Amino acid sequence: MMKKVLSTFKSIKWKHYSVYLIIAVAVAILGYLSLSLDGKASRAFDTYRSLLGDMSIWIILAVSLSLVVGFLGELSLGHAGFMSVGAYLGAVITNVLIANLKIENTFVIIVVSVFVGGVSAAACGFIVGLPALRLKGDYLAIVTLAFGEIVRVIFKNANPNIFGGAGGLQLKNYFTIDRKYFFIIGFLFVILTIAVIQNTIRSKHGRAITAIRDNEIAAKATGINVTKYKLMGFVISAAFAGIAGVLMTLKDGTVLYSKFDYNYSIEILVIVVLGGMGINGSVIAAVFISLLNWKLTDMNGSLSDYKNLIYALILILLIIYRNAPALKGFREKYNFRTLWAMVFKPKHNPAKDKGDAVRWDVVPTKIEMNEVLSTDVVIDSTGDNSADIGERGGNK
Amino acid sequence: MEFLEKLILGISDGGIYAMIALGYTMVYGIAKMLNFAHGDVIMVGGYSILIFFNTTGLGFAYEATGIRGTIFASLIALVVSVIVCTLLGIVIEKLAYKPLRGSSPLAVLITAIGVSMLLQSIAQLYRKGSNAVPIYQFKPTGIFDITMATVFTLGMSIVVMFSLTMFVKRSKTGRAMIAVSEDKGAAQLMGINVNNIIMITFAIGSALAALAGFCSLATGSSFVQPGYGSMPGIKAFTAAVIGGIGSIPGAMLGGILLGIIENLCMLNDTLANYKDAIEFSILIIVLLIKPAGLLGKKRREKV
Amino acid sequence: MKLRKILALVLTVVLCFGMVSVLASCGGTEEDVMVIGVSGPLTGDYSMYGKAVENAANLAIEEINAIEEKGGEGTLGFKFELVATDDEADYTKVQNNYTNMVSKGMLLSLGTVTTGAGMTYTSLAAKDNMFFLTPSATGDDIPGTAGNGFQMCFADSQQGVLAAEYLLENYADKKIGVYYKQGDAYSEGIYEQFMGKLRKENAQIADAVVVAPFTKDDASQAAHVSKLAGCEFIFMPIYYSDAAPFMVEANKGTQIPANAVFYGGDGFDGITSIPNFDINSIKQEITYLTHFTVNAEEGTPAYEFIKKYEAKYDETKEPVNQFGAAAYDCVYAIYAALKFAKANGAEISTDMDASDLCNILKGVLVNDEFEFRGITGEADGEDGRASISWESNGQVTKTPKQEIVKKAS
Repeated sequence: MMKKVLSTFKSIKWKHYSVYLIIAVAVAILGYLSLSLDGKASRAFDTYRSLLGDMSIWIILAVSLSLVVGFLGELSLGHAGFMSVGAYLGAVITNVLIANLKIENTFVIIVVSVFVGGVSAAACGFIVGLPALRLKGDYLAIVTLAFGEIVRVIFKNANPNIFGGAGGLQLKNYFTIDRKYFFIIGFLFVILTIAVIQNTIRSKHGRAITAIRDNEIAAKATGINVTKYKLMGFVISAAFAGIAGVLMTLKDGTVLYSKFDYNYSIEILVIVVLGGMGINGSVIAAVFISLLNWKLTDMNGSLSDYKNLIYALILILLIIYRNAPALKGFREKYNFRTLWAMVFKPKHNPAKDKGDAVRWDVVPTKIEMNEVLSTDVVIDSTGDNSADIGERGGNK
Repeated sequence: MEFLEKLILGISDGGIYAMIALGYTMVYGIAKMLNFAHGDVIMVGGYSILIFFNTTGLGFAYEATGIRGTIFASLIALVVSVIVCTLLGIVIEKLAYKPLRGSSPLAVLITAIGVSMLLQSIAQLYRKGSNAVPIYQFKPTGIFDITMATVFTLGMSIVVMFSLTMFVKRSKTGRAMIAVSEDKGAAQLMGINVNNIIMITFAIGSALAALAGFCSLATGSSFVQPGYGSMPGIKAFTAAVIGGIGSIPGAMLGGILLGIIENLCMLNDTLANYKDAIEFSILIIVLLIKPAGLLGKKRREKV
Repeated sequence: MKLRKILALVLTVVLCFGMVSVLASCGGTEEDVMVIGVSGPLTGDYSMYGKAVENAANLAIEEINAIEEKGGEGTLGFKFELVATDDEADYTKVQNNYTNMVSKGMLLSLGTVTTGAGMTYTSLAAKDNMFFLTPSATGDDIPGTAGNGFQMCFADSQQGVLAAEYLLENYADKKIGVYYKQGDAYSEGIYEQFMGKLRKENAQIADAVVVAPFTKDDASQAAHVSKLAGCEFIFMPIYYSDAAPFMVEANKGTQIPANAVFYGGDGFDGITSIPNFDINSIKQEITYLTHFTVNAEEGTPAYEFIKKYEAKYDETKEPVNQFGAAAYDCVYAIYAALKFAKANGAEISTDMDASDLCNILKGVLVNDEFEFRGITGEADGEDGRASISWESNGQVTKTPKQEIVKKAS
């Protein structure tokens, strides 16, 4: 019996659930701290509450965009547009709930506004996904960019009694989710986002989506419904961007169209690309970037003038380091993985050596087929399996 | 009457968009990349005109030298900004884009975004504390009034488009450009130095951006600020896509169309509020009907 | 092997330092100071406003701390400290800054510097009952309805109404034009109140007003000038950086008469300090409504403030302006209110709850017996200071100044 439990326990692929586990444990501890502290200690903890709240929103945005950019292989520059749809419609429905229906229960407001925001953003994702059937690559990118700008202009000029007009929309009764537990809710949605997108990708649908990315014509030839899966990618991604928008509105109590310009879309895209366009990578990059932003707002003095400059330089150098064909040898010799191995792995195990190809943070991107073939795709012959067999054999 | 006036203004604005769009379209055609930093080159051009006037004091020379002196000073400023931008274009290409040649297009795009952020943050360091710097000097009272500047812009854009078309069609370098855009590998086998051609493309694109920056300062607001180039940049990019990205006549057509539409929208207050939305909707509609843009060539995808 | 050990050691040390610093920050400061927080644009396009507020508030706090150092009758017995955070006028950064300041022990605050970022602050502060007295966020909704927010500047609606009153008094028989920025909360707010007041007072004038709205991306000045041709009073509720190009354009032709008046709100403050913009090249009169100007008469308290500010900070990079003066007044008003409360028997200390402190302060500010005399507003007494009081909705009451930047030439 015991043995059976143990073996099932062992057979679970913990690697698949590690993200959820890490997030759940961390948030449980921090959430307990946040709710139990009071007085001076609670005030001292306050800055971490908003940091975690921001972080949860960044993670949802990055993970949802990674579905379109990393797995569907289409470049989207309008993610902030989907987000603003969610943010505005979530705010409108919250105002209706508070002012017209006199409901101020936080739980009801979250459920209703997230539903409305998510569904409306998903509908927009469907509309933007339609041209995607005819266009690809850079043409699609410009369409998503155009969508973001159109939405912004509409929210600015739409009926100011409903959408607030140029001054932005304020939630009635200064409604905001208490930041004592906002980040817990935020991270619940993070887990939901990762679960939905991770499972989509690991399912039959996900394999179809990545097949389209790798070669659309070949995918079509094998009978994959390209239309359906492309739309699916856009709709899911947009829905979660909308949810992130709703959460942001409920956090700040305000929403202003000018925030959601294409620079904001690009900020999200930068996170996804820095993370290597996979899910785990997006999470890590989002955590890193929100920590950086949090620290930067605190920065004062003469150095603060240079912070954007430094950020831009780091971005350029990092991308060149990560992608330049000339630096391939250098990259393989000195990277985070080898440094980590130098410290924590006593023995060099050649079976565990991985090239760029199977690293989680390198997803071959496809915008043009020959580009992919020219990048670092190496067929991994040593593989992970041999190592697994070896270990199991040892246990027996 | 007002309609006619808007039409002329539209063609002039369209000429500016067309000049910027040419930069996008040529770089896309030859290096197959979206140069997101192109708009910021316009901004740098504007700043170099400003710094030129500030350091030489020529901007204030109107009293002493009169009309001719001022026009002369403006033209020197134009030449300075063209030189600065051309060099900048070459430097950006060499330092940021060349190392990435052959890697994924997305990596190049993000680097371009990084370069754009870098240029803007450098501009923010200049004249700290003021968010706008006037260089109205180069449209002095009574001479370069709106019609003069508009006429100048119109003439300039016609000359630029004509000479660029001639250059690409007739000169050796121009034909080499076409060859590289058709097939990089084959062009290299024919003895064309692809690296040089890409560098020349960036240089020409940046020089055109400087010209466009000068014209848009002369006809529109004479204030330069760090974000000065981003909106014209995006609009010109839209124009390039409407015309068919990669196609030179397409960029001209798209730019002028966009300029006219934008100015005609100004006739009506409601339309004026939504003019950006209208322009971008036209882009989407055009792409849905003709996925490669108005004059773009549809390439068949081969397995 | 060796490298590995060294790396492990370094990592351990770094981690330990990280833990210690986190724990230390949790402990909080033990010094006996009252922390005043402010969130404003310290970098970016609007940094000159944020910097001026930060500098002037620090100046006032230094002076107050010197008074407290000496001690004596009526002092509070503790010092003050300013925590300024950077929001780049972006509302999504405000919550981060707010909690950051709370973590640093903020008990009362100057709110935000800009209106755009201020709405989030209002929501947060209303929930926590955190007192704030903003020097420069002019939005009408900024004080909120919870009674914890106050303004030192005139609210937009007040500015629009005051401008309309000035117009009706002096230019009622002239052709009127308005040049405002669409999509800008500040500009539209003032514009609507201005038109509302005109309609209420005199429908005839309101109908004859020529309106020329412009947007951020639309820079064709010539079209706007021709639209406003012949207007002798042009109300421009916009920031000076938008106004200057229009004025330059208007001076190229003769469509705008030379005896016209360009009349602005407090956004015109700083119009003389735009590099290369020669104010004398403009023929028309330039006037604006404000509560503070940098060319104060010698000997007045406002003049002294400017001198002290200029002695301390780099005038070329962070020039003094009305935002700074208002912040200076804000700190002194808070100080005066705390002293007033203490004199009336309230218990004030640095380890009290922010909400309790807020209840005390909001009671004092709307109290008729409390009188504050500051350097902003039109002076109305022997001491060269203006009497400043607050309404229960958080708006300020004081006499505005009509600052003539230059007369028509």
